[in-house]
Amino acid sequence: MSWELVLDPSLFRLTVAMSAPLVLASCGELVMERAGILNVAIEGMVTLGAAAAFLAGFASGRTELALLAGAAAGAVVAAVLATYAVTWGRDQVTVGLTLYVLCLGLSSLLYRVLVGVRLTPPRVEGLPEVALPLLSGIPVLGEILFRQHGLVYGAWAVVVVTHVFLFRTAWGLRLRSAGENPTAADAVGIDVFGLRFAATVAGGALIGLAGAALPLTVTGTFTEGIAGGRGWIALMLVIFGRWVPQGVLAGALLFAYVEALQFKVALVAKAIPPQFLQMLPYAFAVAALVGATRGAVAPQALGRPYDREARA
Amino acid sequence: MTTGAAHGGRWQSVWPYAGAAALAAGLLAALVAAVGGDVLGALGALVRASFGTLGGVGQTLNKVVPLLLGSLAVVLGMRGGVFNIGVDGQIYAGAVTATGLALAAPGLPGAVALPVALVAGLAGGAAWAALPALLRARYAVSEIFVTVMLNFIALFGVEYLSTGPWNDPMAGEAITRPIARAYQLPLLLPQGGAHAGILLAVLAAVVVWALLYRTVLGYEIRATGDNPSAARLGGIPVEGTTALVLVLSGALAGLAGAVEVTGFHHRLILGLSPGYGVMSILIAVLGRRTVPGAVVGSVLFAVLVVGSDSLQRSAGLPASAVFVLQAAILLFLLAAEGIRARRRA
Repeated sequence: MSWELVLDPSLFRLTVAMSAPLVLASCGELVMERAGILNVAIEGMVTLGAAAAFLAGFASGRTELALLAGAAAGAVVAAVLATYAVTWGRDQVTVGLTLYVLCLGLSSLLYRVLVGVRLTPPRVEGLPEVALPLLSGIPVLGEILFRQHGLVYGAWAVVVVTHVFLFRTAWGLRLRSAGENPTAADAVGIDVFGLRFAATVAGGALIGLAGAALPLTVTGTFTEGIAGGRGWIALMLVIFGRWVPQGVLAGALLFAYVEALQFKVALVAKAIPPQFLQMLPYAFAVAALVGATRGAVAPQALGRPYDREARA
Repeated sequence: MTTGAAHGGRWQSVWPYAGAAALAAGLLAALVAAVGGDVLGALGALVRASFGTLGGVGQTLNKVVPLLLGSLAVVLGMRGGVFNIGVDGQIYAGAVTATGLALAAPGLPGAVALPVALVAGLAGGAAWAALPALLRARYAVSEIFVTVMLNFIALFGVEYLSTGPWNDPMAGEAITRPIARAYQLPLLLPQGGAHAGILLAVLAAVVVWALLYRTVLGYEIRATGDNPSAARLGGIPVEGTTALVLVLSGALAGLAGAVEVTGFHHRLILGLSPGYGVMSILIAVLGRRTVPGAVVGSVLFAVLVVGSDSLQRSAGLPASAVFVLQAAILLFLLAAEGIRARRRA
């Protein structure tokens, strides 16, 4: 493998583009987890977001409606998750896994019912490339960072907004307290149930938007395996990024680089069976999680339903 | 873990189940209507296809096998405090080792070949679960994530083998050469096409039940799953038990893969598991993490899978519809339980 391949500017450009859905999904998951909700339905939510966005785009021909549909689908599933996990205090992993399966089935079912069986899969129009004025003129960097589709910039904005909200506002502090020590939060008058519910729905919308990014920026079509584990990877990135948005962004870029590299290598190294290259991002994800788990401190009450009457 | 479910409490009445059944039937009718099919005719076809005829019973029994072995794997894991989301990957691993053995040694005599292939399947599944088990026990790495990643890796591995070195160009794209006769499970009901795998699955259910409730190891597994800190104080090697549970869970799933190869497909194919792993998780939860619950749940889900396969042909219902039905049933029951828990509180 030559250095030109590994340091190719077009590889970095692809990396930045591919990081957008990962950043959006893991920021969504991050907001939920900071409030104490572990969302293992995330892979299903990404898939359903992709299906909803594709179908809305296919029916209306308008990308903004497609994005909206993706986010809405994620938010609706998240609201169901919150009803079970927050309002009824059910086990989050059990409900999450059930919703994961439901979303997988629902995505293919909706596609099949609304699109039907066709010889050539229909396509939706992708998001246009937006060159930021001045910035896109910077040599090399401008090409890599500032000639991207709108969701890349959107993902950066989400990182900044999430950080400011969580760590610079009173509501962010309240949300984090609901995830660290809900009993104490409740005692000082914070609405733990309401905050957890709201955080879950908001996070779900971001995860659905991440799903929408897949047909609109990567594939142009919808297939059953469109998420390809990106939802699960986003779950890992939250641990990797130590539950802070900047860490998640760094992890998403690193992971997207490995994913993009695998594409590029497949084009040059024809002797290697493509399946071995396709395994690489998943093997890398396992290795990354092993490294990240050391010293990782999750929100104290993550995954635990809050019960007012339980004795501490 | 929440209360009720963690302590094996019983449903207090049958109405949630009756409600879930009604919901499933209603949902199914709506789905058939949505794709423009004949609702009553389709429901009749479902009953005929899954248990109305001898062939239907055979098909259903054949589907019970991977679902029961898979859900036993999940139940065993949950009892020991691990979520094995990697049943699909372990099924493929067991299918690969069994197929690999059969293709490498086609001349093995009949009395040895089949048992050795099944043991190879157990070993393959166990080996595929060993990495997440080690990482969980040694470094506290989430087994949920690692088992899921290994599902993807296993699928790419099977794609490579079935399209590459083991491919049968006469049979199709992602399909391997057939295994020799000596490696094939005998048929149990020759007319219905049911293979003897169901006996293995039932045997596995008995073994898992006996392991959990009649052995010291089983006690240690349950203690570890229910309350790891208390188990540690009681002198149980919690990390070792956790790792062992996940490896045993993987072995059960690997056996399912070997049985699918030796009993049903007689080769390795890329679509060997149409989501048995995720269905197994739903069954384990539906069966309240108990062995008898897994048996009942597997039969119910097998009927749904066979029925929806027939509806795919007769009413044009997509294969994925079965996931929606299965998950909706479970969500309904979880909601009934949730509302009840709220009312009590």
